[in-house]
Amino acid sequence: MKWQRTNGLFLLLLPAYAFLLLAGGSFILAFIESTGNGEGFTWSYYLSLFDRRELTDGLTYSIWITVSSTVVSLITGWLIVRSFYRLIDGNAKWLVWIPMLFPHFVWGYFVLLLLGQSGLISTALVQSGLLEDRTLFPVLVQDRSGIGIFITYVWKEIPFVILMLLPVYLQLPRQFREVNTVLGGGQRHWFKTVEWPWIKPVMFETGLIITAFIFTAYEVPGLLGVSYPQMTPVIAYDWFYSASGEERSMAFALLMLAAFILGACALTGFALMNKRRMLLSKSSHRY
Amino acid sequence: MKKMSILITGLLLTGCSSASDTEEIDLSNRSWEDITEAAAGETVRLYMWGGDTGINSYIDEYAIPALKEEYDVTLERVPLDTNEIIQKLETEKRADQNEGTIDLIWMNGENFKRAKEGDLLFGPFVEEIPSYQEYYQAEDYAYDFGTATEGYEAPWGKVQFVFQYDSAVVDTPPSTLDELADWVAENPGRFTYPEASDFTGNAFIRHVMLGKAAEADELLGEPYEPLEEEQSAAMWDFLNQLEPDLWRGGETYPASLEELDRLYSQGEVWITMGYNEARAESLVRDGIFPETTESFVLEDPGSIGNTHFLSIPYNSPNKEAAMAAIDFFLSPDAQLEKLKPDYWGESTPLDQASLSEEQRAAFDELDRGQTVPDAEKLADTYISEVDAGYVEWIETEWRNEVAAD
Amino acid sequence: MKKNIFYMSSVIFFLIPVLLLILKSITAPWRSGNLPDWTLRGWETVFQDSRVIESMAITLGIALAVALINLIVGIPVAKALSHRSFKLKNTLEVLLLLPLFLPVIAAAMGLHITMIRLGLANTWIGVTIVHLVPTIPYTIKVLKAGYDRIPQDMLNQGRMLKAGVWHAFRTIELPLLIPSIRSAIFLAVTISAGQYVLTAIIGGGSVITMPIIYYPFLQSADDTVMSAFSVAFVLIPAAAVLIAEAAAMALAGRLFIKRRSIQ
Repeated sequence: MKWQRTNGLFLLLLPAYAFLLLAGGSFILAFIESTGNGEGFTWSYYLSLFDRRELTDGLTYSIWITVSSTVVSLITGWLIVRSFYRLIDGNAKWLVWIPMLFPHFVWGYFVLLLLGQSGLISTALVQSGLLEDRTLFPVLVQDRSGIGIFITYVWKEIPFVILMLLPVYLQLPRQFREVNTVLGGGQRHWFKTVEWPWIKPVMFETGLIITAFIFTAYEVPGLLGVSYPQMTPVIAYDWFYSASGEERSMAFALLMLAAFILGACALTGFALMNKRRMLLSKSSHRY
Repeated sequence: MKKMSILITGLLLTGCSSASDTEEIDLSNRSWEDITEAAAGETVRLYMWGGDTGINSYIDEYAIPALKEEYDVTLERVPLDTNEIIQKLETEKRADQNEGTIDLIWMNGENFKRAKEGDLLFGPFVEEIPSYQEYYQAEDYAYDFGTATEGYEAPWGKVQFVFQYDSAVVDTPPSTLDELADWVAENPGRFTYPEASDFTGNAFIRHVMLGKAAEADELLGEPYEPLEEEQSAAMWDFLNQLEPDLWRGGETYPASLEELDRLYSQGEVWITMGYNEARAESLVRDGIFPETTESFVLEDPGSIGNTHFLSIPYNSPNKEAAMAAIDFFLSPDAQLEKLKPDYWGESTPLDQASLSEEQRAAFDELDRGQTVPDAEKLADTYISEVDAGYVEWIETEWRNEVAAD
Repeated sequence: MKKNIFYMSSVIFFLIPVLLLILKSITAPWRSGNLPDWTLRGWETVFQDSRVIESMAITLGIALAVALINLIVGIPVAKALSHRSFKLKNTLEVLLLLPLFLPVIAAAMGLHITMIRLGLANTWIGVTIVHLVPTIPYTIKVLKAGYDRIPQDMLNQGRMLKAGVWHAFRTIELPLLIPSIRSAIFLAVTISAGQYVLTAIIGGGSVITMPIIYYPFLQSADDTVMSAFSVAFVLIPAAAVLIAEAAAMALAGRLFIKRRSIQ
C-alpha cells in the first residue's frame, strides 16, 4: 500500500520533473552567464551593479511603482470579486477579461492615447472649452513619478486578480456561513475565520506573480516612463542588447538577483501558508 | 534528482567549448559562374525588421519576382528584430549549430560590431560580388561606425540625418546649432530630441558633439577615445542650456523616435528628425505628418550620414544563393527602384561616377518628393559617422550629465 | 442597482477602450481641431503581408496545443501538491514558480540551446514546448488552488467506493475544477498567443506567428496601423478561448448526461 502510494506520487509529479528539466536548464545557463561566462567564477557582476548610479537611482523608483501597483490591483480586484462574483460568473466574465486579451504594450499605448497631453481626454476637454490649452492638462504619462505606468498596470492587472480569485469565491463553502450564523458570528467573524484563510494563499501567490512581472517587464515602463530615473527592467533590457559583453553579464546578474529575492519570498510564504492550510483542511473534516 | 542535474548540465554544456568545424566554402577558386550555378533553384531567407510597409513592399512586390527572374533564386522575407537575430545566432554558435536558417541579415553599427566580434558572420565575401566591384568605391565602406568591415558586409543603402518641420508654423528653419538654440528659446516647448539610448537621439547628440566639442576631422576614421572633460563640457552645456525650453521643460525626453514623431504628428512639437532624408514622404502621404511638412539640414556642423549593409551568417545554409541575392540588391536597377518614393525612398551607396550616362540620368531625374532636401545640399553637408565607441560613451554620459540633473 | 454599477463600470473600463481602438483603426490620425477622416489603410496594412491569415492559424493552433498540454501536465501536479505531503514540497512549489521570476529574454538562451540539442529548434513543436515555460507555472497555481478547495474526504470517498482513478477524476474532481480549468485555459492561451521573444528565437523565423508580424509595427507613430493590428491580434486569443470553451461545454454536457444515466 505504501509503495503504491509513493509510486503514485511519483507518477503525479513526473510532469513536474520534466518541466523543471526544461526550465531549469535555462536557469542554470542564465546563472552561468551572470557569474563570468563560464570562464572562471566571479560575483563581480553582481557587485558592480551597485556602482551604477542609474541603477541605484532607478531601484527605489522601481520598487515604489511595483509595490503600489501590486497592492492597489490586488485590493481593488479582490473588492470587485468579493462584491460581484456572482455577476462576473455570468455573462460579464467576457467583459472583465477583455484587457487580458491585449499584450501589456498595447494597453500602455492605449493609456498614452487616452491620458497624454495631446490625448483623447485632454483634446475633448479643450474642444468642449473646459480647458484653455492642452498644456494645462496634468502630466499623467511619461511623468517623473510613474503615474502612467501605475495606471496601466493597475488597469491591466485587476482583471488578472479577478481571474485568479473568481474560482476561489465560486467555491466558497456556503455551509460555513450557516454555521457561522447559527453560532452567532457576525460579518467580521465570518471574514476572519473563513473567508480570509480561504483566499489568503491565492492572494499571496497572485501578489507575488504580479510583483515579479512588474519588476521585470520592460515594455510598459519603456513606453510610459521618463528618461531618468528608469525602471530596472528598462536598464536590464538596454544592457542585455548592448554591444559590451560586460553589460550583458550585468543584465543577467540583475535579473537573477531579482529572481533569487522573489524566490526566497515565495519559499518563506509557502512554508508558512502550507502549514496553516494543512491544519485548516484537517479541521474541515469536522463540518 | 542528482542524476537529473547532471543530465541538464551535460545537455547544455556539451557544445559550449568544442571548436566548430563548419564546412567552409572556399571562395578563392570559384568563379562567379560557379556560384550562380549553385545558387539557381535555391531559397534565400532574408531576416530584417518588418515594421515599415514601404520597405516590406519593396521586397515583396519588387525584389522577390525580380530576383527570381535574374538568378532563379527564391527570396523569403522574414520579419524579425535585429536584436533577436543576433541573439539567435549567438546561441546557435554556442550550440555548434552549423546549419542555420538565416541567409541574409540587414544591419549596421553596433549590431555588426557584436556579430563580427562573436564570429557570427561568413566572409570575407564582398570582393566576389560583381556589382560591388563594378559600382562601389571600396574605401567608402571600409568602416561601419568605426568597425572595419573587412569584406563581411556589403553596402545596401545610405541615409542622411535630416530634420522635418511644419512650415505652417515655422517660417525659417534654423541652419546652425546656434540658430537652433535661438529658435528653441523663442519657441519654448516646441522642440525636443529622443533620449541618448535611442538610435536617432544619439545621432542628434553626435551632431552637437561634432559642432561644439570636437572637430569632425579629428574624430573621423580615428579609433574611439573618450573626450577630455574640458572638451566635452561645451556639448553638455549646450544641451543643458537647451533643456528648460524643450518640450515638457526637458523634464523627460521621448524614449524613441516613434514617440517624437507622434508628438510632431499631434502638433505638440514643431520639429522632428531622423535618418533617411526621404522618411517624411510616406508619413505625409499616409496623413500621419501634416501636409505642410518640409525638411532642413544643419549647415554647421553638417549632416551625419551612414550606410547600412547586408551580411551572411556563418551558418547560412545557402551561401551561394545569398551572394547572388546581394549582387542583385547592389545592382543599379534594384538601387534605382529602392530610391523611388512609392517604396522605400532611400538613397543609394552606389558610386555615381561608375554609372553609364543613361543610368545616371535615371537616378538624377527621379523625383524623390517635396520633403526631401536637394541632392546638392545633402552632398555639401555630408559628414561620416564617428566610431561606435562614441555612441556608447554618449549614452552613459548623457544620462549623467543631462538627464539626471 | 449593484448590478448596474458593475455593468456600467465594466463597460467604461473594459469595453470602451476596445471600441476606441477599433475606431482608431479606421480613421486617420486625430489632430485637434478637425474631425478625422475614415480610412481603410490600417486594415490594408494588416493584410498586406500574405502570411497574416496563415500566421493567425498557426498562433491559434499553438495556443490550443499549449493549453491542452498545460492541463495534462498541470492537473496531476496540482493534485499532488494539494493533497499529498512529501519532503521538499515547498521547495518544489517555488521551483515551479521560478520561470515567472526570470524574464523570457534571459531564459531564451538556455531554452534555445535545449531545443537545438533536441533537434526541435525552428519547428512549431519546439515553439509549443517552449511556450509551456511561461504558462505552466500559472496553470499549476490556478489548479492547485482549485484542488485546495476540494475537501480531502471527498476524494477519499471516491477511493472507498473503489472507483478507478479516471472515473473518480471525471465524476468528482473535474466538475469541481471547472472554474479553475477555465481560468487556466484562458491564461495559457493569452500568454502563448502574445509571446514574441521566445517565438522569434526558438521559432527562428520558420514559425511565423501573429506577434512576429505584428510587433515590429508597434514601433511606429502610425496609430491607425497600430490599432488595426492590435484589434486583429486580439481575435486570436478570443477565438482560442471560444474554441476551448465550446470543447469544455461539449465535454461537460456529456459528463452530465453520463452522470444522470448512472443515477
